Amino acid sequence: MSARIAVLVFPGTNSEDETFRILRDCGGDVHLVHWSHAQTLPTFDAYVLPGGFAYEDRIRAGAIAAHDAMMDHVIAGAQAGKLVLGICNGAQILLEAGLVPGTAAIRRPTAAFTGNGPVPHFVCTHVYVKLAIDPARCAMTAGLGHDPLIPAWTANGEGRLAASKEHLQELEDGDHIAFVYAHEDGSVDDSASPNQSALGIAGLCNREGNVLALMPHPERDAWTLNHPDRRRGAAMLAPSGGAVFFRSFVGALQ
Amino acid sequence: MRRAVAIGLKIPDNAAYTALVTLRRLGIDVARVERADIVRFADAPDEATALMAAVERDESLYNPNKHRVTVLETDAPRVGEVWIVQDNVDRPVGWRLYRSPDLPADTATLTQAAERLLCNPAIERAIFPK
Repeated sequence: MSARIAVLVFPGTNSEDETFRILRDCGGDVHLVHWSHAQTLPTFDAYVLPGGFAYEDRIRAGAIAAHDAMMDHVIAGAQAGKLVLGICNGAQILLEAGLVPGTAAIRRPTAAFTGNGPVPHFVCTHVYVKLAIDPARCAMTAGLGHDPLIPAWTANGEGRLAASKEHLQELEDGDHIAFVYAHEDGSVDDSASPNQSALGIAGLCNREGNVLALMPHPERDAWTLNHPDRRRGAAMLAPSGGAVFFRSFVGALQ
Repeated sequence: MRRAVAIGLKIPDNAAYTALVTLRRLGIDVARVERADIVRFADAPDEATALMAAVERDESLYNPNKHRVTVLETDAPRVGEVWIVQDNVDRPVGWRLYRSPDLPADTATLTQAAERLLCNPAIERAIFPK
């Protein structure tokens, strides 16, 4: 029996369809699980928290969802070694839940994806993210090979990673910085980040490497019709660069 | 004169209700939650009514169909209230918690609510009543 993947739907989640479709296209046995069916979550082998505005971002982005009954099961699963991926708002929820970077108690956040810089506006733009750890460090990236460059779309008002200087050092020392923003040629500098994220961070993983929080959306550049160069004549529904990431995720479950 | 006003909703406040439900889920004993944007003025009129009138004339702050304005006695949280100040954001959010419909929460309850839900210390700080 193949591993079953749950894509969680909180009130306000809005990226579940594209996340479901690319996981399915990559061979995953994937199911949407709504908040009213939280009790079914222990039967799944992996959890994906898609983007959106869970609970309308009340209090702070991800703050209420982090305490939802669905997260009780996700936290238990993560502690048992199941794979957990959060994208955009899902990443915010994982930080609020303390699963990422996982250096403090559960539900005691030590970092946050917060208002973008230099001005706190919603930013929607195409980006590239580059793996900043050894691929084997995180189960979900193990299939990416060395130096992968993943295309994605960033679409958020609160995607800038913020943490104390000491904690950022801890994240660097502990190899928690899984992805950083990069240019299309793979080079990395301050101008690659669309939002002044600390250290150019686009994604963080936990100590054990089974939980990953990724701010931009690779599922929105998973088919050529979503890629900025779609007018060059490629087949509309051919896999695009973002699909590589999800193949690696599904591959980690096989 | 340095003063502050609390601008809350007179229509149902869904965010405050969600906070109430979540705090109860965390085992924190609260009966009611009020939320308000706190707007601080460095050079406000001495008379509360004059300040209130100035705020009510500012359409970017106040909509008479939606908001309720309270001029605070001091430029600090009221009894039972914690202010959450986010980095790079001028206006704190005031969360006023009640143990019963009319009894403001004590400092221990406020501290627990801030630490467990209302404040992310990576980007925010909590200011408690003196």
